[in-house]
Amino acid sequence: MPKSGDDAAPPAGGQPEDKVACAAPEWRRRKLHLVSCEIFFREMCLALSRTPNQVDAAFLPKGLHDIAPEKMLEHVQAAVDAIKFENYEAVIIGYALCNNGLAGLTAREIPLVMPRAHDCITLFLGSRERYQDYFFKNPGVYFKTTGWIERNRVDDGELQQLSIPNQQGMNQTYEEMVEKYGADNAEFLYTQLYDHTRNYSKYTYIEMGLEQDANYKAQTHDEAKERGWEFENVEGDISMIQRLVDGQWASDEFLVVPPGHRLTPTGDETIVRTEKAP
Amino acid sequence: MTDLSTLYDAILSGDHKTARSLAQTALDENTDPKSIVDKYMIPAMDEAGRRFEANVFYVPELLIAARAMKAAMELIRPKLLENHVEPAGRVVVGTVQGDLHDIGKNLVASMLEGGGFEVIDLGVDVSPEQYVAAATEHGANLIALSALLTTTMPGMRAVVDLVKQSPAAGDLKVMIGGAPITQTYADEIGADGFSDNASGAVNEARRLVGVTAA
Repeated sequence: MPKSGDDAAPPAGGQPEDKVACAAPEWRRRKLHLVSCEIFFREMCLALSRTPNQVDAAFLPKGLHDIAPEKMLEHVQAAVDAIKFENYEAVIIGYALCNNGLAGLTAREIPLVMPRAHDCITLFLGSRERYQDYFFKNPGVYFKTTGWIERNRVDDGELQQLSIPNQQGMNQTYEEMVEKYGADNAEFLYTQLYDHTRNYSKYTYIEMGLEQDANYKAQTHDEAKERGWEFENVEGDISMIQRLVDGQWASDEFLVVPPGHRLTPTGDETIVRTEKAP
Repeated sequence: MTDLSTLYDAILSGDHKTARSLAQTALDENTDPKSIVDKYMIPAMDEAGRRFEANVFYVPELLIAARAMKAAMELIRPKLLENHVEPAGRVVVGTVQGDLHDIGKNLVASMLEGGGFEVIDLGVDVSPEQYVAAATEHGANLIALSALLTTTMPGMRAVVDLVKQSPAAGDLKVMIGGAPITQTYADEIGADGFSDNASGAVNEARRLVGVTAA
């Protein structure tokens, strides 16, 4: 008889006992839980469908990026803490450091696995070296992906209320500003606070190869044209996302945070490290 | 003589036209330019900063107050130069290489100007060499660095290191700020100062150049 227990079970029955025992480690499915930003929804779903591991997933709203980092951390930590840890080997994190919104994320009973990345673009491009190189060659670039086209909105009232622009008085309409500060100041403030074209000059669409049609690329191209920005289409690379869900966690690419530890920014090219949780 | 407390009020309420015309009137009446700045303009911006820290003012109110102060300062600065009045300090300001975010940087630049500093604003995407060259050229005592992204933060260390290596820099100090920046990071890279808000940046700059608040 094959050994009992899911971990050692072969993918299909009927294999001789000795072969099963021998093949057990190879067939072992790791049970993981993913906590991810919804920006990766399509990429994660594709990677999850192809992984040998058994992965449950929770997606959190993109709007967490617009609130103060310590508030963002609260939400992500709550999602991690809601996982029934006894059912999983590790929690894999579908986030980057995200402007310190993940700084302080703590592993309680099982390890956390965190990509070494400043933001999601590293994961879309497949490596932080490639991102770094592209970023500094194209300082005025604004990236688009399926997720950034479909999910770049905040429809949660609570998150909207907490958003930094809202908290800083930077969410007012032009008419509201005219009313409050006069037409002349409103025009000045509008240029200072809302004119995105002021410093950006280029849209780059990252084509992940999972798009069913050319609409995302075309939409980005049209928006670039409308703003008078440059447009570039670059090929994405899902391999780093796949390695995250597959459990291929090389230490230069991922940080494993052991139980009782938390992640903290390094301020250098390693991006994050672990420290003992207080 | 014009009651210049109206200049204080005009700056605080972001009325740049009134602020400018009051400054002109005061100069026409031969009011000492330094006393206009010290008694009315700097106190108005200090008050704007206090209100910002107390969440009475938000970014828009601070920006328009700074705009009104600048409108008055444009007329007064040439007179200060004529009278050989030295600024509180000379500060080179800019957002670090690769980073194009400037709302915070502009706010700090305006607040420093309102605090009596001469500000040399290099804009965004500024290389370490550009900061040091401008500081040397203008005889600045301070460089103020801004970054919004953790991706571009390491550029701050590069500036601090270059300042330390440059004999021409002399006693030049470096202060840093921006959303992802902390005191811990400032200590780690050897920056002389740090502030987590625009109003605090003025006090930090004063501390670093050794002047007391007006």
